[in-house]
Amino acid sequence: MTELNLIIAGVGGQGSILASHMVAMAAIREGLRARVGETFGAAMRGGAVASHVRIGKGVNAPLIPRGGADIVLAMEPLEGLRNVVSFLRKGGLLLTNTHEWLPVDVNIGRANYPSLQSIKEAVEQLGGRMIAIDGTSLAQQAGDVRTLNVVMLGALAATGKLPISTETLKQIIMENVPRKTVEMNMRAFELGFNSLK
Amino acid sequence: MSSTSEIIVEDSPGKRVLLMGNEAIARGAIEAGVRVAASYPGTPASEILETLAAAAPKLGFYAEWSVNEKVAFEVAAGAAITGVRSITSMKNAGLNWVMDMFMTLVYGGVRGGFLIAVADDPDAHYSSNEQDTRFAAHYAEIPCLEPSDAQEAKDMARYAFELSEQIELPVFLRSVTRISHASGDVELGKIEKRDRKPVFDKHWKMPWRWDVYGPPSAVEKHRWLHGQMPKIKKIVEGLPWNRLDLHEGQSVGVIASGIGASYALDAIKLLGLEGRVAFLKIGTPTPLPEKLVEKLLKSVTNVLVVEEGEPLVELLVKALAKDANPAVKIMGRFTGDMPPVGEINIDIVAKAISKLTGKELPSDPQLEKVREEVKKLVVPRSSTLCAGCPHLGTYWALKRALSKFGGKVPIVNGDIGCYEQGGYGIAGKEYKPSFSTESVHYKIEAPYETLDTNYIMGGGIGLMQGEFRAGYGDGPLVAVAGDSTFFHACMPAVANAVVNKAKGVFLVLDNSWTAMTGHQPDPVTGVTAMGEKTKTLCIEDVARALGVEFIRVSDSFDVRATQEAIEEALKSDKFAIVVSRRVCTLQAMRLKQYTRKKMFLEKDTCTGCRLCVSLGCPAITFNTEENKAGIDPIICVGCGICAQVCPVGAIKVGE
Repeated sequence: MTELNLIIAGVGGQGSILASHMVAMAAIREGLRARVGETFGAAMRGGAVASHVRIGKGVNAPLIPRGGADIVLAMEPLEGLRNVVSFLRKGGLLLTNTHEWLPVDVNIGRANYPSLQSIKEAVEQLGGRMIAIDGTSLAQQAGDVRTLNVVMLGALAATGKLPISTETLKQIIMENVPRKTVEMNMRAFELGFNSLK
Repeated sequence: MSSTSEIIVEDSPGKRVLLMGNEAIARGAIEAGVRVAASYPGTPASEILETLAAAAPKLGFYAEWSVNEKVAFEVAAGAAITGVRSITSMKNAGLNWVMDMFMTLVYGGVRGGFLIAVADDPDAHYSSNEQDTRFAAHYAEIPCLEPSDAQEAKDMARYAFELSEQIELPVFLRSVTRISHASGDVELGKIEKRDRKPVFDKHWKMPWRWDVYGPPSAVEKHRWLHGQMPKIKKIVEGLPWNRLDLHEGQSVGVIASGIGASYALDAIKLLGLEGRVAFLKIGTPTPLPEKLVEKLLKSVTNVLVVEEGEPLVELLVKALAKDANPAVKIMGRFTGDMPPVGEINIDIVAKAISKLTGKELPSDPQLEKVREEVKKLVVPRSSTLCAGCPHLGTYWALKRALSKFGGKVPIVNGDIGCYEQGGYGIAGKEYKPSFSTESVHYKIEAPYETLDTNYIMGGGIGLMQGEFRAGYGDGPLVAVAGDSTFFHACMPAVANAVVNKAKGVFLVLDNSWTAMTGHQPDPVTGVTAMGEKTKTLCIEDVARALGVEFIRVSDSFDVRATQEAIEEALKSDKFAIVVSRRVCTLQAMRLKQYTRKKMFLEKDTCTGCRLCVSLGCPAITFNTEENKAGIDPIICVGCGICAQVCPVGAIKVGE
């Protein structure tokens, strides 16, 4: 693989930015070039967040062009869809958590949350494929819902689409999560990884 | 273990690491042996000083969060006058606060290297405007460096100090969101150990060097400043970040500055035009490497200028073309080939290069149609305050207090901070322009519809006084601001209200931290940027000292008490201040000052009135089929505000 364009999407506070940095760090450790561009609104929490990760020898800009993403990794289904519509390429993959984080717009009755089935159909209409896992439950099973990002990274590694070895990625995760949570995060990684097997 | 904060202080030249643009700028300053760093938080620039502050105790230099950007600028400038190296960093809007000192400091320049690092925000992701601060560097007649990626951000920041000392002037580094908040691989350089003794000589190379009023005159110092420009122009011509790639047979060219160069390179690749377009990469948009520009202009017939922000390079290139090659066609913002607002990206640049070269863009119209169709499924996610945010309580109390005035039309003047979300509106709702000639009352459906005006730091309290002076009488006048904003820019306006006898309610939302930009300490926090304990200033004490007679303090989590305090203030015939206080819940949890509790909603008791939903807490959900509210147990932190809002007691706080 010469280049990988990956978007990690979620809601502010779900750890998608750290996840994107860890993928980029793993790429750099393996001698590749990496770029990460973050897009998020002003809010600290609760806003739509997307990180563009570009890995490969020829990457320059931190943002992926329209229709240029190979994979969208989503911590939350609606945020997955939001990025899929503009960025997922034909033949691309949406790997999403199934747990919904309802926007306030839906809660006050100003919008309708799309069903997981309709998201799946949308991805397929665009010539892509969707894999959905209950990452939130797996994170809780690992010991803390905050390990969701690592659960999803585990699942991402299991797709075999990363140009980085799983061992390097795990090593980077161990170096970048709080020391006391290393064991729990490794559990989360395995749970995510095995959910795709 | 090698987290970024450890890597930043590591003297390991040649090591390749992932750095965010802001971390890279900080690392550049560290490699250059910076001695003093000062800033005020502002996205997307905050991480520059955050990174420096974390490194300062380890490397033995000084870093501070100043009370505002102007003070920060002066702290750094004062250090540079004594010959040591210093940096000040700020967001786009922050530069507006420093303009007075900035425009005047350059008349005498500096002795130690002085870097002014400014992060612009095209597309206004986190800002109230899209201003292009490169013009300020041009205006001040100092060189502007503009990186195209994290590596250049690091290298330019490092070099800026050397250049600054060479020309005895501050050097400007202009970043943008896509540099500051993007990350890339960076090869580290050596950390220089500089142990300079600060010195002072008031007539250093020029009489009255540091006093613009000193003889001979400010005009003579202005002449000196002009005199530096030929030297600067000569230097930038040879900088590695200004590069011309021109080959025989190329009839069109791209001039790309800063991040624009990264987009342009990727766009050229996307179009399969590598080697077929002459390419001038610009690292100093002002002054431009004029000889390189002229060489390109003389060799091609058409040129596209790619830059983020306003057409500064384009304007300067046009001026050079008049003599170099008046026939050359220059495409860019003036010709409508680049968008007049917003930020650029690979797609926009590719489209312009496609027009420049006639090479068609790869496209799939059928797929584009599907994209447009599928897009209809996507619903907006309005930005919200956090679950358990004290501002939710304050805004609810304010809404209730204002509702006591019936159909009147209050004006709630906003300010900058997390609470500015009180004026973000609801993305899923359509707002139509009104052409009424009378004041109009609008219902507040969620706290995000509370604020009626909002512009800049400290702006609301001043606007409120103008509304009062205009004789506005159709409803109460209110201004809101946070604790950090109070010290940054509100104190002069408070003094003004007192001595000029203005009336209105100033509601201060004190959550103890500059929360929105990532929880930096401010004058009420009691800790410095470098983690030392310090004095805690008290807002009501300051207000009292400024002569405010009506002051009430409440707990933001106590909705009723806060509402009563605001009501009392609204009835007062004096200028009134209400301080609604509660530590930011996110930060309180992080510091173990807050324990999460569980909230319960009794479905049988819930009547489906949706009052709790209009509180605007992201943890409160609503099931339309059941007609019942719900609480998301993952998001909820158990602050208990919703339990105070529920009119039928369906929400209870557990353990």
